[in-house]
Amino acid sequence: MDRWKQILITGGILALLALVPLTTTRTDLLTWFTFTLLYITLSQSWNIIGGYTGQQNLGHAAFFGLGALSSRYLWLSGIPLPIAFLLGALVAAFFALVIGFPAFRLRGIYFVIGTLVLAEILRIVVDTLLPRALVLPSKLLSTYSLVPRYYISLGIAFLTVAAVYAISRSRLGLGLMSIRENEDAAETLGVNTQIHKLVAFLISTFFAGLAGGIYAYYSSAVQPGYLFQPVWTFDAVIIVFVGGVGTILGPIIGSVFFVLLQRLLSLYLPGGMHLAVFGVLFIIVVLFLPGGLIELMSKLRNRILGGSRLN
Amino acid sequence: MILEVKDLSKTFGGLVAIRDLNFVVNKGQIVGLIGPNGSGKTTLFNLISGVLKPDKGFIKFNGMPITGLKPHGVCQKGIARTFQLTKPFANMTILQNVMVAKMYGSESIRNMKQAREECEKILEFIGLAGKSSATAATFGLVDRKRLEIARALATKPRLLLLDEVMSGLTAAEMEEAISLVKSIGDFGITLIIVEHVMKAILEISDKLIVLNYGEKIAEGTPQEVVHNKKVIEAYLGE
Repeated sequence: MDRWKQILITGGILALLALVPLTTTRTDLLTWFTFTLLYITLSQSWNIIGGYTGQQNLGHAAFFGLGALSSRYLWLSGIPLPIAFLLGALVAAFFALVIGFPAFRLRGIYFVIGTLVLAEILRIVVDTLLPRALVLPSKLLSTYSLVPRYYISLGIAFLTVAAVYAISRSRLGLGLMSIRENEDAAETLGVNTQIHKLVAFLISTFFAGLAGGIYAYYSSAVQPGYLFQPVWTFDAVIIVFVGGVGTILGPIIGSVFFVLLQRLLSLYLPGGMHLAVFGVLFIIVVLFLPGGLIELMSKLRNRILGGSRLN
Repeated sequence: MILEVKDLSKTFGGLVAIRDLNFVVNKGQIVGLIGPNGSGKTTLFNLISGVLKPDKGFIKFNGMPITGLKPHGVCQKGIARTFQLTKPFANMTILQNVMVAKMYGSESIRNMKQAREECEKILEFIGLAGKSSATAATFGLVDRKRLEIARALATKPRLLLLDEVMSGLTAAEMEEAISLVKSIGDFGITLIIVEHVMKAILEISDKLIVLNYGEKIAEGTPQEVVHNKKVIEAYLGE
């Protein structure tokens, strides 16, 4: 696609999204949008390490939780919101730096299990140390509005997508993808695979921390342990795979689809049953449509346009 | 002298893969490395390229010790290799495959546009120019071998280790491969070639080194080596 067309479409979508709070005051709609943008940030951040670099990190919730918890404390202690967000994300990335060295000594399935276990340990520690729910002070509760929450999640989602886009078209992106495809070959061609995996992990967890910040700012009351629940990891993983793993548009389409389906299903199905639907959907996609929805869309488009290839 | 291997040894458990190996390779030479299956040829490549660490001895490249460097470090010093079982980046395009090597190898180019131009030249030379936007997953054996060589060349090596790039080729493809290897040599790149196809290796090599059970049993020009008694015994039995 031609560059100007791309910029125009992106700008148009952003402008439309910026207008949303001006055209509606329905809180359910604004919440949907805010969550979709939160999920775009979260899934896109997982996409960097899991999709592009091929390291299936199942401890993503730990970084979401660390970002959420730190930025919430900092924000409520009076630090300006943007700085609280930034510091929260840096805390998440710092934790990634600490566990990155030992974690990347593990390859394949051992890395997957290792990250899952680390995140669970952190969740249990947080649950034990901070058993009580964190509620916003009444002064903030009385002035609570969804509109700034919406704009912040829009801004951060845009930042995350832009960063992943830039990485995917850079030398770094090529290096990360080569690790996903064949780590031995990448190393032989001059890629310092250990350092590259660590860098991908830091970037990925930084944005996961920002996603956590969005949630911390959004929620009026939250149980600290909930921020570290594995569901944050698995939502992100499902979104990325259903949307299209290792692509820019995949996590975006996946997030829209995920939130829409989640809300619709929770209207008609008994509590929690929508998770089962997503589980089945995930299995179907992995087995029959490894490229995700994005592949399905381009296949359909090609068929409709009589086989003329667009991408 | 571009490569010096001195007293090199490597064992796996109780199995001796390389024993007290000594040899030198001069700049611009094409050296054929031959020997029966399991004689230690691929182990030697793994030792030079940093995939394995020797138990004893050292390897010097341009007078500098490289033992202990990781594979990416060895590559950045100017030694490239191909794998006997090709390892393409299957879900990336051919151009991207070669770009990785160009942007990370020795004398790497960090600018995307410049790197792309260089890579297109390499693909042209290797005969893959028309396929640069195909993914490597769609490639058959011959093209995968070509890609393997193209990537290795893109790292801008001074020394190139080719591991059985001609096995599985038809006679016509072999002729092409031989002239390709010769023209790589003409660029001034020093080559060490492991090959089972005797006709090819005798035609290309300036010097042959013969391994058996991890030891060097002969070294010399192709004519000298093929008449060497030890070599004939190693291949045909006594």
